[in-house]
Amino acid sequence: MFFQKKRCIAMLLAGGQGSRLKVLTENTAKPAVPFGGKYRIIDFPLSNCVNSGIDTVGILTQYQPLELNEYIGNGQPWGLNKTHSCAQVLPPYERHDKKSGWYKGTANAIYQNIDFIDRFDPEYVVVLSGDHIYKMDYADMVAYHEKHNASCTIAVRTVPLEEASRFGILNTNPDNSIYEFEEKPKVPKSTNASMGIYVFNWSILREALINDEEDPDSSNDFGKNIIPTLLNAGHKMMAYIFDGYWKDVGTIDSLWEANMELLGKDPEFDIRGDERSKIYARNSALPSSYIDEEARTVNCFIAEGSEVYGTVRHSVISVGCTIGADALVEDSVVMPGVVIEPGAIVRHAILGENSRVGKNAVVGGAFKAGEKKKISVTSKGAVVEANTVLLPGDML
Amino acid sequence: MNVMGIIFTNDASLGQLTNERTMASLPFGGRYRQVDFALSNLAAAGIRHIGIISRHNYQSLMNHIGAGEEWGLELEEGGLEYLTPFSMSTTDIYRGKLDALHSVMGFLEYGDEDEYVVMIDSAIISNIDLKHVIKCHIESGKDITVVTKTGIANGKKQLDLAVKVDDKGEATDIGVDYVAPADYLASMDIFVLSKKWLVKQIKEHIARNLFHMDRDLVLGLWQKNAATINVYQFPGIAMYNESIEEYYHNSLALIDKKVRHDMFGYNHPVFTRVRDRVPSFYGENCEIENCVVADGCILEGEVENSILFRNVTICEGAEVEDCIIMNDTIVGEGAKLKYVILDKDITVRPNATLCGTPNNPIVVKRGDTV
Repeated sequence: MFFQKKRCIAMLLAGGQGSRLKVLTENTAKPAVPFGGKYRIIDFPLSNCVNSGIDTVGILTQYQPLELNEYIGNGQPWGLNKTHSCAQVLPPYERHDKKSGWYKGTANAIYQNIDFIDRFDPEYVVVLSGDHIYKMDYADMVAYHEKHNASCTIAVRTVPLEEASRFGILNTNPDNSIYEFEEKPKVPKSTNASMGIYVFNWSILREALINDEEDPDSSNDFGKNIIPTLLNAGHKMMAYIFDGYWKDVGTIDSLWEANMELLGKDPEFDIRGDERSKIYARNSALPSSYIDEEARTVNCFIAEGSEVYGTVRHSVISVGCTIGADALVEDSVVMPGVVIEPGAIVRHAILGENSRVGKNAVVGGAFKAGEKKKISVTSKGAVVEANTVLLPGDML
Repeated sequence: MNVMGIIFTNDASLGQLTNERTMASLPFGGRYRQVDFALSNLAAAGIRHIGIISRHNYQSLMNHIGAGEEWGLELEEGGLEYLTPFSMSTTDIYRGKLDALHSVMGFLEYGDEDEYVVMIDSAIISNIDLKHVIKCHIESGKDITVVTKTGIANGKKQLDLAVKVDDKGEATDIGVDYVAPADYLASMDIFVLSKKWLVKQIKEHIARNLFHMDRDLVLGLWQKNAATINVYQFPGIAMYNESIEEYYHNSLALIDKKVRHDMFGYNHPVFTRVRDRVPSFYGENCEIENCVVADGCILEGEVENSILFRNVTICEGAEVEDCIIMNDTIVGEGAKLKYVILDKDITVRPNATLCGTPNNPIVVKRGDTV
């Protein structure tokens, strides 16, 4: 890597456990969770960076990083392995002073990697999180930030008023400058929810991180500490309104929903898009998929290396899966390498990587329209024994 | 033990399919090019110094292989070298393999550490363990190992090189450009030789104006008892894509599970250039049966017994049967296709009908509108 001054680099927070994904993140970090047949969650922010012309990305890892590190590798699938580009994995490390240790919060994670950022002497740092599904041109946001001469710009999306109290809400003036930030307000004053995507002037963020670290009462978090502190200090902060598709896939239900939203002729989230918004992923060298004579494939995605002998309806089948004869898969997310044996029935489920559903086993169930769907989940490598049942909403 | 690989890209006789590309860059099996098999075979055997000899139309090949990243061949030392006519000592188009090898003597002699050479073609594809072939070559103590396949010779197909062996596997007859009877083994155009021996033979042959690998070096030396031949019989599947008919039938053979698993996973994975397409989408009313489907397709119509490459769109009401449809092609609403090979980037207009026969499939040229 040749260190030259960069106008803008990105820091991707990928260290969270994602405990609300339960068994799916028992052994892996949330950003490494498979999505959409051949992707992992982290492919979205990473590809967005590449598509926005950001060629230097620091990836902060902490929780169960093995799979994530392996997946990112040298950054080659995203073209981030060149002389002037990098995808650098940044785990916590030991320092000569006492300021090292596990990343205490999102701000502390960046604080501990000030040296990494300083090497590129950037004007702007984009801070991203590794748990959202969306396509966004960060270059537009940085241009907006620059145009308004802001210290910090936060991407926001409009949420329904009745849901606003679940989000960090930014209260703005008519020119979209922010005058107040409220974390999960009981009585929301606006519907601008923070998407956890920030653009900072590096010099200002750098100073704020150092000050924040010296405050023993701080929880070293962007939302709780850095943003309110900068606001109180009178910095100009802008809200950048984003109206494209965006989904926090932090829960089983939302992960399932986001996968289902890829389906249909006119899907809510068009993952295909154009060349400029292509999502890149590390590819497995698997042959084309095979659809048997007896197979039925209706409104579904089927990725490479899969073999389908049974019926698949309204589902996402990932790479390297086998759907046996007379098996039925409906309204489900089938992650890479899953084997569904003949005669099994899988409905409203997320089947974790390399899990197996035995012959004539039943996973999940059907729901009436409007009824709350309970998603059944199998963890990585789990086996639903032949002729057994995994009830709706159960996890294995 | 160091081994170098040489891939011949073969100009071929697949009519419109190879008018504007080499055999090596002919798409095969939904997401591959013919050369992917040769490259993956060499790479899987740990061969890290590979030359690709190409006569013309090599632009699409270079675009496909690039620096060889997908095969792990983007190396500082060794790696891939393109041996195109303009990198050769003469810019004349070569007359035979020995001629071609002679013109890249610099490449052959570079790197003293390579002891053996594996020569491999692009028209005949397989998933073969070349490590084992090289081991057998060394153990045989013979000059040339010819990799062969039973069941190809049938008294009708003309073979570049055919070998008859006795019970012990020793060659008893060799024919070149020979319509061999069924008891002959067909050469897979894969050879293993010691580099020193090969270099010496190339120089001697070219000095005497002999330039044909099969006729002059293999058959010629064997007849004169000047070389010993080791016949390696490959047990797996070898596909001879030397005519449109063979290409068509070999492609559709991938629908069979055993064939597919042999070709793609028998010894090692087959690598190809990654295109980062989304998974294929199957629509509400599609009927897909007995098909091999690559990534990026949008399928709304009916497809039976066919091979679909990347990014193919089959509109509603279209009926496709026994077809091979290459990348980026659109089959319009209500179109009917049977026994057809569609090259890349083709638009089939709504309600168009095309129907070939199993032994004479219709081939539609790249970029055409039907």
